[in-house]
Amino acid sequence: MNFNTISPLTITELLEAIKSNQNNHFRFGAGYTDLILELQHQDENDLTIINLAKLNDSSLKNTSKTNLGIRVGALSTMANILDNNDLYVFPVLIEAVKSLASPQIRATATIGGNICTASPAGDVSCALVSLNALCEIINSDGNIRTVPIVDFFTGVKTTVLQKDEFLRSVLIPTNSNGVEPVSGFIKIGNRNSMEIALVSLAFHIIHDDQGIINSAGISIGSVAKTIMFAEMAIAFLIGKNIKQLSENDKNQFADLILNYANPISDIRASAWYRKQVLWNISKSIF
Amino acid sequence: MKTIIHKISFKLNGGKIEQEVPSSLLLIDLIRDTLKLKGTKPGCLEGECGACTVLIDGVGINSCLYLALNVDGKSVTTVEGLASNVEPLSDVQNALVEHGAVQCGFCTSGIVMNIHSFKDKCDDDNMTPDREDIKKSLEGNICRCTGYVKIIDAVESLF
Amino acid sequence: MNQSKPFKVIGNRVPKIDAGDRVTGKSVYGHDIELQSMLHGSILRSKYPSAIIKSIDTSKAEQLPGVECVITANNVDTHNLNYRTDHPVLKGEEVNCIRDEVAAVAATSKTIAEKAIKLIDVEYEVRNGIFDPEEALKEDAPLLNRFNKGDDKNKNISESFHYEHGNIEDEKKKSACIITRQYTLPKVTPACMAPSNITATYSAIDGQLTLYSSTQVPFLYQREMSQVLKMDPSKIRVIQPIIGGGFGSKLDIHPFEPICALLSIKTGQPVQILFNREEEFHHSAIRQSMVINLTTGADIDGKFTFREVEVIKDNGAYTSWGAKTSFVIMQTFSSLYQVPACVYNADAVYTNNVFAGSIRGFGNPQATFALERNIDLMADKLGIDRAEIRLKNANFQGELTGQGLQFDSCGHKPALEAVIQQSGYKEMSELQGRYKTGIGFASMLHVGGGAKIYPSDGCGTTLKMDPYGFLTVITGSSEIGQGSETVLAMIASEELGIGLNKIKVINTDTNVKPWDVGVHASRTSFVAGNSILGALKLLKTKLSNKASEMLNTSKDDLLFENGEIKSLSTDTAFKIDKIVRALHFKPPHELCEVSYFYEPSSEFQDKHFKGKVSGCYAFASQAVEVEVDTLTGKVNVLNVYVSQDVGKVLNPLGLEGQIEGGVVMGLGYALTEEMIYEKGQLMNPSFHDYKVPTATDIPEIHFHPIETNEASGPYGAKGMAEAPLVPTPAAIANAVSNILDVEINSLPITPEKVLRAIHEKDQTKA
Repeated sequence: MNFNTISPLTITELLEAIKSNQNNHFRFGAGYTDLILELQHQDENDLTIINLAKLNDSSLKNTSKTNLGIRVGALSTMANILDNNDLYVFPVLIEAVKSLASPQIRATATIGGNICTASPAGDVSCALVSLNALCEIINSDGNIRTVPIVDFFTGVKTTVLQKDEFLRSVLIPTNSNGVEPVSGFIKIGNRNSMEIALVSLAFHIIHDDQGIINSAGISIGSVAKTIMFAEMAIAFLIGKNIKQLSENDKNQFADLILNYANPISDIRASAWYRKQVLWNISKSIF
Repeated sequence: MKTIIHKISFKLNGGKIEQEVPSSLLLIDLIRDTLKLKGTKPGCLEGECGACTVLIDGVGINSCLYLALNVDGKSVTTVEGLASNVEPLSDVQNALVEHGAVQCGFCTSGIVMNIHSFKDKCDDDNMTPDREDIKKSLEGNICRCTGYVKIIDAVESLF
Repeated sequence: MNQSKPFKVIGNRVPKIDAGDRVTGKSVYGHDIELQSMLHGSILRSKYPSAIIKSIDTSKAEQLPGVECVITANNVDTHNLNYRTDHPVLKGEEVNCIRDEVAAVAATSKTIAEKAIKLIDVEYEVRNGIFDPEEALKEDAPLLNRFNKGDDKNKNISESFHYEHGNIEDEKKKSACIITRQYTLPKVTPACMAPSNITATYSAIDGQLTLYSSTQVPFLYQREMSQVLKMDPSKIRVIQPIIGGGFGSKLDIHPFEPICALLSIKTGQPVQILFNREEEFHHSAIRQSMVINLTTGADIDGKFTFREVEVIKDNGAYTSWGAKTSFVIMQTFSSLYQVPACVYNADAVYTNNVFAGSIRGFGNPQATFALERNIDLMADKLGIDRAEIRLKNANFQGELTGQGLQFDSCGHKPALEAVIQQSGYKEMSELQGRYKTGIGFASMLHVGGGAKIYPSDGCGTTLKMDPYGFLTVITGSSEIGQGSETVLAMIASEELGIGLNKIKVINTDTNVKPWDVGVHASRTSFVAGNSILGALKLLKTKLSNKASEMLNTSKDDLLFENGEIKSLSTDTAFKIDKIVRALHFKPPHELCEVSYFYEPSSEFQDKHFKGKVSGCYAFASQAVEVEVDTLTGKVNVLNVYVSQDVGKVLNPLGLEGQIEGGVVMGLGYALTEEMIYEKGQLMNPSFHDYKVPTATDIPEIHFHPIETNEASGPYGAKGMAEAPLVPTPAAIANAVSNILDVEINSLPITPEKVLRAIHEKDQTKA
């Protein structure tokens, strides 16, 4: 493993570093928990790492409440998220973070890093898709654009980020109506810890006090090249009463979820298993 | 490509030190090869086993997935930094010994550091963990000898 | 040696005597060794699992600054490895598996050594590899190991075992129920936390080679190394650093070890080779994979009648101790539970896969899995309760089995009864709903008093008490983390009445310690324990002679207690160190030092494999309560009830640690661990994809020791450390099979496997 690092201290220095390295081969390093693993297996030459660990701009690490939702800085670590009471309104996110790796990894892994690694098995990414989160991207000229997270991923480990862009923060819309949502994250694996999801299902369903479903976000991981947002399954739920779903309703719902699943078979599991278990657990969320 | 060397200055086990490190040097290699502190162990070099766990500002991290240059300005504690002449074993180390939680010992330093980190966090949050919480706190430390039972017992005894 | 008075130390919960060093990072493991002007070694391994080597060009590597030495088969002179001598150290003509070592480099840094390896050009002529033992057995298969002097049956068989006892045709006729099944057991790795390591240092001045090796068998290692390197064995010194896990994997010598020695011999400098985790997965000893075809019978009352066994083992490219697992498997089939007749055939077949080693349990987990599954199937077929059928056929004290194993002490039935009762078997089943629960049983039998597979199964002990009453125990036995040093210190403390803080155990240097065959077959507590007891007896005699003179009383009147030797009748005493000094400075002018060698009373088995292979045998039973999530297929083990006949509990803390560790390792083998190979290549060489149990995966473990007070064991103790792993996968498979009414006939029992079984069952129902 061989590279040089640049360590900007402010956002200005960061944008400057991005700008001046446009003709070079560079990557961002935040928590390094994915990056170092990747680089160990590659013989990359002339690589520059823009080391984000020294940035002292708190906006990149902090969380702030706005009218539109909660903004989470891309350099917030998983541990920071678990320590933030404001984020507990999104049980799906908290469960996803808790299921990620180990305390040691969670202490340094960042939410930005997890998203930009763009693994279809990414736990936190999956949760954020179900929350309809928005990716806030800044370019080296300081311009900001927003991309819904489901569109942020373009393929396995590929994103919409251009070479002069940097993921600055994630905005999670809050549309709570005062009723506890049915919200959770199911991660399928062979062990109870340290698993890369064979299949994951994230759900955040908002209903009124009668049980009528007003809105929902449902996403699935590890069944396609990117995390899938199950629109048709969501549409099926809107208006129905979550406390009165029949067995038939649940079957239909599971069938709709399965429409989004086109998994591969690999050494971890077969496509058959991934589809079978996805169908089963889809029904179990009610 | 010319290798950039970084000057770093940090606290190591309570004392201030300065080092010069290339960008790609891993913290575990700085600790073991440069500083000759062999207590931190290279179990897997992929962040899975936790044998390389050290504390950065009191929080346990995998030193195999941490760049040495990023400890600049921080406080690093390795297993060697826990002892003093007055107390050769910390409360955590003592608990592990007493409960029979040490067999081959290769995973042990990482577990000791992780437990210290966990215990400090629980104290800060005013939280008394239950057995499930303790198991979860150990999920990033692999042990092949003990089956974890006595490690969990040892942690339980600290609260 | 049984004592009627209560023990002062034996039976206490004693932490590992050097736990303080291990827990503070002071212990020096193989990875921590640094010697002056030490070089780093790196190995070039084969690109293909099967190929002819056309040429090797090391010139570019040799010219790289910092490279001190490059070796290939062309510039070294070695003898082949292992007891079959079918394994060349460096491969010059052909490669037969992806581990094959083609060249090695010693350089001033690891980085340079790794760079140099990449500069070596090897021209291969690739061949089609054979990866299935069945394919290798075919007539038209190529010869897979040209050193094979093995078997007349088939050119690709390395070892063949045949065994029988009783009259199988008669027993078949008596059988009301006959079950035939095939069982498949995968390759798994012990995944010791410390990856493989060695440091070799050769001095041309005296021709002495010192090896800092994590071997479990230092004296056998010394001998084999001398043969391989064509050196005088007295010039080889083996020093064991603190060992970060063995589990049997360090019985075999692997090529990287003599390679490191050769690099040191050629450069005259110390050389170190360290594996990283990925290399450890690829190139270290693994558990023997095998296919077991088993037919078993029982009469109408459920009494077992016969077993007919055929085992095909994947020997891999070269033979290792893994081939000898047939020997242990044989014992399980011939003697676990009473069985009047048994016919057993086991073949170790060469392939182009990696070769196995000897891993904890040594074939017994695989055999027990097959046997215990068949027992459940027979019980179901006969309509007999699964616990009942086991109790009915349990081994008993005084039994002489068809194989000639003598069970002078036997805790099988008490162990079964204990787990049946404690698991609440009858009450504990939930077969409705998403989460189904139930219980499965399995028992095991293993050697408990050593195993005579080498001309000597003994262990030597030297004791030295200094003028200050400090005892040094120099034992031939090795400590690999299992706690043997602590048990020996406890025995010395008990017998001499001195504190544990006055005892040191030394056991790391073949130049210093007496001979011992090594750590295997769960023999250390038994054999090393008996050895130290013999030595202590001699030491006490010396001390008693002097003390009785000084206290003016008879030797029978003396008591060793609280660091003193006391006359019971007069209540006068002298501190033990005073006696030691008196021995030295006054007649008889002797130092307080003794030596004793203990050879267990086992024998080599005869050529039909019959006979008393071990001093005694250990029994254990497990009942495992399991919960199956029928939506995901995930198996969650809730409770494991373990009852083990240990003869006598010497150190409960150490014993529990071994039980818990063994059960959890068994859990991994049962549920989550599998090395996945494709055409001889390992596809999951990392902890990312090779899943060992974590702290959140463990069950509640309930341990109930059975003390049968084995007369030949130290204080009645037997060996026990492999046993806790052996029945666990079988019991879990039985539980899952019973709960779901399916048949689980292979490991690991992954969620996918379970979900498929449920699915297939639902399909057949529909």
